[in-house]
Amino acid sequence: MKTISIDPITRLEGHGKIEIFLDEEGNVANAYLVVPELRGFEKFAEGRPVEEMPRITPRICGVCPEAHHMASAKACDAVYHVEVPPTGKKLRELLYSAFYVADHTVHFYILAAPDFVLGPDAPPAERNILGLIHKVGLEIGGKVIRSRGMGMDIVGMLGGKTVHPVGALPGGVSKAINEEERAQIEAWGHELVEFGQFGLQLFHDVVLANKTYLDMILSDTFTTPMYYMGLVDENNKVNFYDGKVRVVDPEGNEFVKYAPKEYLDVIAERVEPWTYLKFPYLKKVGWKGFVTGMDSGIYQATPLSRLNAADGMTTPLAQEAYEHFYETLGGKPVHGTLATHWARLIELLYAAERIVELATDSEITDPHVRNVPTETPDEGVGIVEAPRGTLTHHYITDEKGIVQKCNLIVGTTNNYAPMSISIKKAASAFIKEDQVSEGLLNRVEMAFRSYDPCLGCATHTLPGQMPLEVLVRDADGNVVEQLAQFIE
Amino acid sequence: MKTLVLGLGNPILTDDGVGIHVARVLATRCRRDDVTFAEASVGGLRLLDVIGGYERIILVDAIQTRDGKPGDIHRLHPDDLRASLHSGSTHDLSLPGALALGRGMGMTLPNDESIVIIAIEVEDVLTFGEACTPAVAATIPRAVEAVLIELGTGEQ
Repeated sequence: MKTISIDPITRLEGHGKIEIFLDEEGNVANAYLVVPELRGFEKFAEGRPVEEMPRITPRICGVCPEAHHMASAKACDAVYHVEVPPTGKKLRELLYSAFYVADHTVHFYILAAPDFVLGPDAPPAERNILGLIHKVGLEIGGKVIRSRGMGMDIVGMLGGKTVHPVGALPGGVSKAINEEERAQIEAWGHELVEFGQFGLQLFHDVVLANKTYLDMILSDTFTTPMYYMGLVDENNKVNFYDGKVRVVDPEGNEFVKYAPKEYLDVIAERVEPWTYLKFPYLKKVGWKGFVTGMDSGIYQATPLSRLNAADGMTTPLAQEAYEHFYETLGGKPVHGTLATHWARLIELLYAAERIVELATDSEITDPHVRNVPTETPDEGVGIVEAPRGTLTHHYITDEKGIVQKCNLIVGTTNNYAPMSISIKKAASAFIKEDQVSEGLLNRVEMAFRSYDPCLGCATHTLPGQMPLEVLVRDADGNVVEQLAQFIE
Repeated sequence: MKTLVLGLGNPILTDDGVGIHVARVLATRCRRDDVTFAEASVGGLRLLDVIGGYERIILVDAIQTRDGKPGDIHRLHPDDLRASLHSGSTHDLSLPGALALGRGMGMTLPNDESIVIIAIEVEDVLTFGEACTPAVAATIPRAVEAVLIELGTGEQ
């Protein structure tokens, strides 16, 4: 058996490795994403006061500290059996919506758009944000920086710090906003809605209007039907901050809808001998290996899955975009991995519209933003939709609120198995009978990039490039071919 | 010269936090009006948010190279990252990429010569913990001195 290994040369961050195994005929037999797992967070958390968790857990990840902050605060609410006052909830969702705008902006414009605007076969040296600006104009770079900046400024205003938010506490948030802050957020919100619309227009003009790209989105190479997960409100509409987790089957029918505290009834984690990673799957369907379809318990948790798992969006412009999405791609559910980029832009618009809705809510400047916990703490689960997937925090404490047990299922973890499947599909199209054709690296990269994986879950150290090294090995493990490129 | 000394890393991931530990020591040992000490656990655009507006930047961070020994200290410029390191994030820009974008957008950023990276070779960056491993912890005073030399200042 031959092994093709796509391997970042050394690690500091985002260190993942892709192993592609060939069969005797030289075709792809299996593909796996291998990620060194960070160790010992549960132990690290044990013995600490649970109210510290919303400040500690954002340090797990330099990419989505806000998501950990929110899931953790919600888990603490549950541990203390405290109800957050309406304005506290709204301020949390406002912060979270602003974070979504910033995060989705970075992913689409910095990482995804270059593949489409410059083309999937453009050399990596051009296929980046600088190449994008060069091609589309400096103005777009300005828009991206400004919009992301406004999102982060709102996060900073509400969260206390822009880098590591501290605003949410068990029972609510630490600070109310005044009229001046509200008006500023509203003004930014309107601008962000326009930016959200701009993104969808750009996607329409650059991607959808180009038949090659539309065909690529709909192609078998990038099609992986599976179960889809996403948080929904009481009307089954997409919600990032609160609600129940809904899972639909590969045909789009509701499979289960569960409250956060029920997650262990629904989700199990598969352990494989070749990696520390655990692969979550749907308990009642069961683990059938790295395969898709109705009989396989593998599910994904992505922007695409959130749209598939819901019945629509609560905001008007996003709802319109949602309908257009399914009309264009042949109805629900959509199985095309690359459509995740489009779904992400619809979510960006939704988040921007939510900023305006929340900033104009009559209660938003109410000073009552927290109920101080009075109950004895014991156990709680908090779930939010992180941009990279459903994020679950589960804490068990003693009666003094000291953490005894802690379990996290982080966003990207949900997608380890789906990513492996998508990589295998993409690789299969480009490796035939031992021949690795041009474009393998780029397509494999596009397949896993659409999931927006956060591999190290701690992106901060000497930020550099994501190198891919492909080693083609013969049956004895000798390297017979080597491919490498740097993704910037 | 308006200078930022920024400790980078994750303070709860064993050696990954070494840059932050160094910055914390520096903040207690050196007080100058023209120097700001800070820490961050971010990269890419989030890093750009933090470093804008300075004339000189000294980043202190963890690094792992092929033949490095824990505790080795490297003095690098952003361009060296392209050549010698392969750190990366799947979600954000590289440091050189972020700098190029920032400059392209008209941000006030120093040129590469005025951005120095004091990189400390580390051992364990996968286990959660607040303390560094012994070899790396023992290097912290030397890294502090290295930054003070960059600042052209003795202990104050």
